[in-house]
Amino acid sequence: MTTDVQQDGTAAAPPGRAAPGEAGRRLRARRRRDYLLFAAFAAPNFFFLLVFAYWPVVYNAYLSLTDWDMVSSSWHMIGLDNYASLFDDPDFRGSLWTTVLFVVGVVAGGLVLGLATALLLNQRLRGRDVVRTLTFAPYVLSGAAVGTLWLFLFDPNYGLVRPLLAPLGMAAPAMMTDSKWALFGLVLVYLWKNTGFVAVVYLAGLQGLPRDVFEAAALDGAGAWTRLRRIILPLLSPVTFFLLVTCTISTFQAFDVIAMMTQGGPGTSTSILSWFIYDQGFRTFDAGRASAAAMIMFVVLLLITGFQARFLERKVHYQ
Amino acid sequence: MTRPSPGHRTGPALGRRRLLGAGAGLGLGAALSACGQTTGAVSQPGGAVPDAYRGRTKVVLWSTFADPVGPALQKLVDAFNREQRDVYVEVQFQGTYDECAQKAVISLLGAQAPDLCVLSDVKWYKFYFGDALEPWDSYFDPGELAATYNPRLLSEGQARGRTWWLPLARSTPLFYYNKTLFRKAGVPVRAPESYEELYDWSHRITKQTTGGKRVALEAYQKVDGDWQFQCSAWQWGGAYSRGLDVTIDEGGAVEAGEWQRKLIFKDRIAYMATEPTADIGNQLIATLVTSTGGLKKINEMAAANGWELGTGFLPRQKKFAVNTGGGGLGMFKRVPRERKEAAAEFVRFLARPENAAQWTVETGYLPVVPAAVEQAPLVRLMRDDPNFTTAVKQLERTRKGDQVRMMIPNANVRIYIALQRIWSGNTPAQQAFSEVADQLRKGVDRYGTMIEEHL
Repeated sequence: MTTDVQQDGTAAAPPGRAAPGEAGRRLRARRRRDYLLFAAFAAPNFFFLLVFAYWPVVYNAYLSLTDWDMVSSSWHMIGLDNYASLFDDPDFRGSLWTTVLFVVGVVAGGLVLGLATALLLNQRLRGRDVVRTLTFAPYVLSGAAVGTLWLFLFDPNYGLVRPLLAPLGMAAPAMMTDSKWALFGLVLVYLWKNTGFVAVVYLAGLQGLPRDVFEAAALDGAGAWTRLRRIILPLLSPVTFFLLVTCTISTFQAFDVIAMMTQGGPGTSTSILSWFIYDQGFRTFDAGRASAAAMIMFVVLLLITGFQARFLERKVHYQ
Repeated sequence: MTRPSPGHRTGPALGRRRLLGAGAGLGLGAALSACGQTTGAVSQPGGAVPDAYRGRTKVVLWSTFADPVGPALQKLVDAFNREQRDVYVEVQFQGTYDECAQKAVISLLGAQAPDLCVLSDVKWYKFYFGDALEPWDSYFDPGELAATYNPRLLSEGQARGRTWWLPLARSTPLFYYNKTLFRKAGVPVRAPESYEELYDWSHRITKQTTGGKRVALEAYQKVDGDWQFQCSAWQWGGAYSRGLDVTIDEGGAVEAGEWQRKLIFKDRIAYMATEPTADIGNQLIATLVTSTGGLKKINEMAAANGWELGTGFLPRQKKFAVNTGGGGLGMFKRVPRERKEAAAEFVRFLARPENAAQWTVETGYLPVVPAAVEQAPLVRLMRDDPNFTTAVKQLERTRKGDQVRMMIPNANVRIYIALQRIWSGNTPAQQAFSEVADQLRKGVDRYGTMIEEHL
């Protein structure tokens, strides 16, 4: 605990004990001033957080208990019926499983590819800065642009994949109209879009690693693989942890490219939880079920983040 | 939330806290129960009136029409704006039928709405059941609507003795075929009488290649393919539903699904496509069942790619059956009366025979006003290009889609997702349709009473 120091340099009375006379009054006045200053700085942020972050969660929780159709002026409170109907719905259960596959594919693949790219870009190669920029560029493209671009690339009749495979005697797979391929195709697109971000963050981490450790390892005769496994990965673990948490959350919320490319199909093969929520809310206009599914997603994300913080952070090596 | 601290169970301080807590709780409850605004007048979506039309009542029309239909609508709007002095109509494009309906729902919650909105034959029910639509009847003279519009199409927008949805871009599926490919294959250059006959021809048609790829017989539309499949279900003797009794998992519908699955996975002469109209335009497929609204575009693509287009009635199987579809005009109850009256003026303008004829000529949609068929431009077109006559002739044999698909929220999407599973995942039709039937029956359990109350 810190001790307050008054303007005259004498130590203030500890909190909870009344300061005698003038000094006590000044202390209380200063504390009030400090509090008001804190409130003045914090209140606008807190207000916007309340309105745009916490309030929607509360409102969503309320809606999840109703049968509102988003058009009628009346609705009923139906308790937990929406939650029960979701767990009874094979499409919802299927979307949970699809979400797991999608998140694992995008996050794990993104971390591996991002690290590999960062290790390459960390070398002293000609044109490295240009390559770094090009690698990062897809990340800043809008989802609509990315979706349109890849729809064209994947098109089995008109796309660029067809002439690439034709000389090999292979037909281009119908990535977006074949339910066997669609999820895989979608993961590929998200990897292309996100790898640049992961690579840039890893690159920043790599450039912050202490050189003396690598010099010592070189003197000890450690090879590239040993350096990667024994030095780089452990030292980058805080970066990996950060990326794991942020990428997991953002991948759960992936929507734009799915809306452009597959709309959850063919069938329900690419219907991840975020698409399922959209489908219930804005195509079925069932605010209750959409909100209930959103609450479930909220809880799942809380649990995953809590798990990552509780168990994985133990394995993180901070310098 | 307030909780009394230990040792202070009573007293004035606690009372104040409780009071504050109760106030906060009431405020929260009141705010939560707001659920957006579903009552009260709505304002108009943004936009500006050009100087030349200043002072007029502005009418905002939310449209779902892109090229080449969008420009055709704009042409009529421009003519209307030039013609009179009181009303100015502004068209605001809002994407597909689904997107437009979504935006209308959200917009209404934000106490803002267009004065006129293009709603699909499926989506208008959503607003009608939610009591959000204004009936058109009081904006027209008695008998005027019946005397103006095609009675079959008009009746599709009527319920409980009132008219809620007026026909505009109404369509019916046609059988499109590539006469050039048919001729080269040595099969009769006409629409087939039945699916069996088409199947017999398919062996010769699909031996041809385009750009190194084998020509396929047909393609099924990935999104909204449930509309075309409605006809197949009927033709094979089945239905999506009879009234609110779901029958998609029985008999004819399943047989029709199996027929298409066989063409895709056994014969390999059909496939599911994202843009089947582009595929027939580029001769990747030889035939296609799609909307009359695609006639203009396919005609243009055929001319550009040097092949001859033919159209015909849909082939029959056990029987002939074909549905209607497309979009109509709805007006929201919460729009102020003055703007509704102005909107009705524009609708009256669209329904003039010469304008309705122009609309059909430029888009390929059905002539929703019977008198339009006698107008010179349409007479000329039907004489010069028999493809435009097909839809008009078929119109007399159309009927409205099955009730469950039209009225259970998102049933159309559920059905086309099941079809995607057949077309793309090789799922047996019985399995795919049994699963969707379960969902549809749950929908009927939930919404059935409300639907019956509104019909």
